[in-house]
Amino acid sequence: MTLSNEQLNILMKIVEGTTADSIDCDGCFGRIAEFAELELAHKTIPEAMDKVRNHLQNCPCCQDELNSLLDALASKQEPPA
Amino acid sequence: MDTTERDWVTELTSDDHDVRQGAIGDLRTFLVRGLRSAFLKKGVDEAFCEDIAQDATIRVLDQIDKFEGRSKLTTWAMTIAVRLAVNEFRRKRFQDVSLEGLSGEDTLRIDISSGHESPDANIMRTTILETLKSLIEDLSDKQRIATQALLEGMPVDVIAEKTGSNRNAVYKLVHDARKALKKGFDQAGYDWQDIHTAVGTGQ
Ligand SMILES: [Zn+2]
Repeated sequence: MTLSNEQLNILMKIVEGTTADSIDCDGCFGRIAEFAELELAHKTIPEAMDKVRNHLQNCPCCQDELNSLLDALASKQEPPA
Repeated sequence: MDTTERDWVTELTSDDHDVRQGAIGDLRTFLVRGLRSAFLKKGVDEAFCEDIAQDATIRVLDQIDKFEGRSKLTTWAMTIAVRLAVNEFRRKRFQDVSLEGLSGEDTLRIDISSGHESPDANIMRTTILETLKSLIEDLSDKQRIATQALLEGMPVDVIAEKTGSNRNAVYKLVHDARKALKKGFDQAGYDWQDIHTAVGTGQ
């Protein structure tokens, strides 16, 4: 299967953007709730969370899940108190 | 706006039936609303959100002893619901797509022929694509198939399901392939800007 120009474009971009990644998708999932709360509160993401940020940059699937999570949490609802 | 966090763990595990059921109902409602907000626009229906919220609530109750309190319980519960929803959404979307067409010699084939009009740019393009081709040949079959599948828009969890593997393993397979390609280009002494210019990528 010959790569289309668009696929070649994506491949070159993701190859260039590849960095060392010390956690996997499950490792990311374990910290993603905290990460999302910090993002929603516009707080600085602490260095301890660099691993998560780094994985998100390398993993479009986890990034996609984070986007959906942020959408879900930002919906105009407060947790029932 | 009440920002006090309810003691969810106590309520969800309470011996008092009414307290427990009240908390379970409230959590479920919270999850349904979040799922609606994130997924209705992707084309799922109300029933999808209701079903996922129901499954997620059961999982939260099952796994509540694993909740470490590093986030609000409601945020943690929403991560579980969103992951279930995303998995189900992707599984349905790719249910008819087979990986069989992706295996074999043709996987990740590069077409070197079509290129720039200027002969100089064409030489650079050809050289870079030849490098890419040979780096791809050094990848394993599994790495090539998984990378091709990813470029077909297939998420890692779907590739894992279709290859009888797991998400972490597929992620590592593709990530190792990407690292190998990047290392190969770096060792060949190319500058990424030159690569993008020559290949016409990176716009
Ligand atoms: Zn991931």
